[in-house]
Amino acid sequence: MAPIGASPDAGSSDQEIPDLELIKACQGGDSSAFESLVTRHRGKVYAMVQNMIKNEADAWDLSQEVFLKVWKALPKFEARAKFSTWLYRITHNVVYDWLRKRKIDGAGELDDGILNQSDIAAGARTSPAYQARPDEALQNSELGSKINRALATLNTEHRETIVLREVQGLDYKEIAKVMECSLGTVMSRLYYARKKLQSLLSDEKGTN
Amino acid sequence: MKKEQTEELFVKWVDGRLNNEEQSQLDELFAADPELEAELTGAKEVTAVLQSEIPKSVEPPYPDFFNSQLMRKVDLEIAAQRPAEKAARWWESLRWAWAPVGALALVLAFFAGQRMSPQGNGGLADGGAAGSSEKSEELPNVYFAEKSLTAEVIADADGNVSAIVVEGIAAISDDIDFSRADRTTGLPARYLKSEERRLQ
Repeated sequence: MAPIGASPDAGSSDQEIPDLELIKACQGGDSSAFESLVTRHRGKVYAMVQNMIKNEADAWDLSQEVFLKVWKALPKFEARAKFSTWLYRITHNVVYDWLRKRKIDGAGELDDGILNQSDIAAGARTSPAYQARPDEALQNSELGSKINRALATLNTEHRETIVLREVQGLDYKEIAKVMECSLGTVMSRLYYARKKLQSLLSDEKGTN
Repeated sequence: MKKEQTEELFVKWVDGRLNNEEQSQLDELFAADPELEAELTGAKEVTAVLQSEIPKSVEPPYPDFFNSQLMRKVDLEIAAQRPAEKAARWWESLRWAWAPVGALALVLAFFAGQRMSPQGNGGLADGGAAGSSEKSEELPNVYFAEKSLTAEVIADADGNVSAIVVEGIAAISDDIDFSRADRTTGLPARYLKSEERRLQ
């Protein structure tokens, strides 16, 4: 059955059923409404997770986990926050739990090195292998990969703040809600993360 | 001016969110430090590059499979919740009437466990106490690149057993003699060699 309100590009348009209506239907137990929500938001969640952990196979699994948690938590969702902010909050929790678990499993090996693209976990568990299209591969090999390398060098909090602000376009208050920190902390993280990225990318320019 | 205040001014300037008062405060800082404006302009450029190069939304590989896999987990969640709710309601009204039935079920389950488990431990040694949500997360993933293939997963969560029935695979011909495998069978060379070694 085709999910209701879904769009092929997973974006939003006027014809689409608003998130809140879909959420109400989900709260009434309508799983097809939930599938529409998933189709609409899975790209943003996957991109967020992928940018945080830089590992395609785990990003796929973790995105599944995010949406399963969303389904379980939806009955408690009260629409005081925007759905997307709430979704990023759950994504934040799932990613940090995963990082914490990696730290425990790795007996203290956690540092930002695990977030490098080259450190792909040996056990790519459930997601099928995926090969980048040629245009994607080209993009990844040039400026995109420089930026990804620079992002991977940032610590987790700085990377998340930058991705939420520059990529996902959240405002300062929303970032503070997602990361459960003060506005001042968000400002400070943004300032230092931008400064570090600026320095890293200018170093890249210098070496190439 | 405090460090936190200047950081906030710099961040807001990069994002183009300064009000008039904040802009004049920053102008004073620019006047005092001629390199500051160039530095912040660099940060602005980095921001623009990030926004243009990193996509806001990336479809996960095999998005249809992503949805179907997720919805199966959701269905299992729903199925796991319903019997628990029903059972709770019945249990409240027929608490004492169910006691002998429960005892009989326990006895039957014990004997069934004895028959199913070679060690006779009733299958409770590993994961017997796992919750339904954990079981749903252990659902086997079946994915075929070939669309003509289909699979049915038969899972017995209590017995910790699952079977995967695959439909659509070409039948293996009865006249293949695996002990004398050669190129005429059409089997991959690597497989034939490993079979050869195994049978020697």
